Amino acid sequence: MDRKIVILTVAIAAAVVLASVATALYLDRASGDDSVGYVNMAPSLMEGWLAGNQSDAYIAWEPYVSSSVVSGTGRVIMWSNEIMPNHPCCVVAVSEDFLAREDGQDLAARFLKAHIEANRWMAEAMADEEGANYSLLLEMSAAFTLRSPEVVEEALGHVEYGYEMGEDFLAALKQFTDMYVETNIISNETLSDLGFGNVSEFVEDFVDESLLEVADDVEPSGTILNPADEDAIRLGYLSGDIHQLAQFVAQNRTVGGGEKSLFEVYGLNVDPIPPYLNGGVLMDGFSLGDIDVGYLGAPPALQKHANLGVSVKIIAQANSEGSGIVVHADSDIHTLEDLVGRTIATPGETTIQHLLLKIALSREGIPFVKA
Amino acid sequence: MPRGRAMMVRVRDSVTANWMRLVLGLISVVAFIATWAVVSDYLADTDSDKSEYLPGPGAVAEAFVKSFLEPVPGFDDIRMGDMVASSLIRVFWGFLLALAVAVPLGLAMGYYRAAEAMGRPLVEIFRPIPPLAWVPVFMMVFRSFWGPVSIVFVGAFFPILLNVVFGVRSVDPRLIDAARTLGARRGAIFTKVVIPTIIPYLMTGIKVGLGVGWMCVVAAEMMPIQGGIGVGYYVWASAFSYSMYDYTYATMLVIGLLGVLTTGVAEVLEKRVSRWMGMR
Repeated sequence: MDRKIVILTVAIAAAVVLASVATALYLDRASGDDSVGYVNMAPSLMEGWLAGNQSDAYIAWEPYVSSSVVSGTGRVIMWSNEIMPNHPCCVVAVSEDFLAREDGQDLAARFLKAHIEANRWMAEAMADEEGANYSLLLEMSAAFTLRSPEVVEEALGHVEYGYEMGEDFLAALKQFTDMYVETNIISNETLSDLGFGNVSEFVEDFVDESLLEVADDVEPSGTILNPADEDAIRLGYLSGDIHQLAQFVAQNRTVGGGEKSLFEVYGLNVDPIPPYLNGGVLMDGFSLGDIDVGYLGAPPALQKHANLGVSVKIIAQANSEGSGIVVHADSDIHTLEDLVGRTIATPGETTIQHLLLKIALSREGIPFVKA
Repeated sequence: MPRGRAMMVRVRDSVTANWMRLVLGLISVVAFIATWAVVSDYLADTDSDKSEYLPGPGAVAEAFVKSFLEPVPGFDDIRMGDMVASSLIRVFWGFLLALAVAVPLGLAMGYYRAAEAMGRPLVEIFRPIPPLAWVPVFMMVFRSFWGPVSIVFVGAFFPILLNVVFGVRSVDPRLIDAARTLGARRGAIFTKVVIPTIIPYLMTGIKVGLGVGWMCVVAAEMMPIQGGIGVGYYVWASAFSYSMYDYTYATMLVIGLLGVLTTGVAEVLEKRVSRWMGMR
């Protein structure tokens, strides 16, 4: 019996030693000397994670970048426009079911008109930092993002608002889709099942510029054209994402002239539904018929459009740029090369932030692996 | 009836009985897969919004095979085998730590009244808390490797502890008296009487603990702070990040098979160990 216990003990000890070696190899896998490791987390957790020295860096969208900077926790080592100048970010998408409604095209064009006017109002407000509209803009941004005016003021300075979609926009979308195809997140088979011969055809079909042209000629309407609750435009957007400020501005009655919001000026009954956590989930909202129009990042839209077959069209941009790589304020990390051997948090493999970081690292020849 | 004939009859009966079981089992599995295929086809044919969320058995089988042979979508160098390995390592450590802590504690609580009186209230307070309730804290404090490990630990800890306590209680006092009468000392009573009795109870705890451990690791890996890889992580990523639901179901299948496999191994071990130590 005693000998048996000894044998048993030795067997267990051997198993533990073997497992320790396996664990060591596993933990060592990602923290190679030549690569940058990443973990995924919600941007709302990133500042706390960085402050607690739990990660070496993170990449996120505003206001999660400026929030760390203003509080003194973080320092920005690179803005996203240094990786790709004027890169696309959030877009406005509309469901094809909605466009197929009798009044769908008209309402969508009116929605875009309100979006365009909101963008103009924001541009003018930002041009005059002494003006009353500037304070109102800060106030609205703070209310929408639940951040202090200092944080949103800093953040607004790093976002380019605009609605037009040019050649660069299409080229960037094609590049993102190519990256998805490379890692099999979208397969060529899927694209051909959808009836597209290549990535270009897929992206060009996904983007519809015609509504922007129509929107230019839209005139204000004296009455609400879709007054019934069941006809309201159900609007989806991401929780506190300052990139998507235009839709919040368009809902504000002071901006619209005091009596009506911009949406109402153009005859629209818009029903904002509770915010989504990220663009992927918002696309599921489209897929399940919960929303008609949505503001979300271009990459998740592309990816779910292909894989879930979500029938939507991208009809305008919401913003470009506006993301950044943040490190601890007193960190010794100053460049991308300094990130080698460290861990950076990203909001997920299908986000614009992740893709941009991947592009930046691959230019330097640095592998980017799951930590 | 001659002896050989009787044996043949017995063999025949047993074959028929098992054969029937096999056929019935096959029927239910085939019926399940057929229903699945029909529902999935129906959703696809009617262009349902929900169709993408239920790929057919063929697509899932293809994803299952491909996931082991090629890098899985989203990665250029990681296959399903790597996902399995990293989850297995987490389950192993969580489980081993649980074993290392729960067995001595269980022995103490079963053996000494004072230890029982001290331990019982804590056990009763913490046991009903689902292990996953610890996720927010453990994932923040212990991060992506030891976080899931510690959740597996909590999940496996209580089944093992309670079974060991129960095992010690089940030791027949007459056996202890008899051993004492024959001059056995405390140590000898412990190794020759107590341990053999509790082994079957311990093994039950191990089996239950392993099952709970798998559930815990899958759920913990799905949490919003995702470092590392693993089967739970990939269930989440393939669905939420990539919308490749065929891979989601394939990964779920992998998890199911792993659960069956690990509890199967525990069962074989239980039988072997019991027989080897001469307890049954």
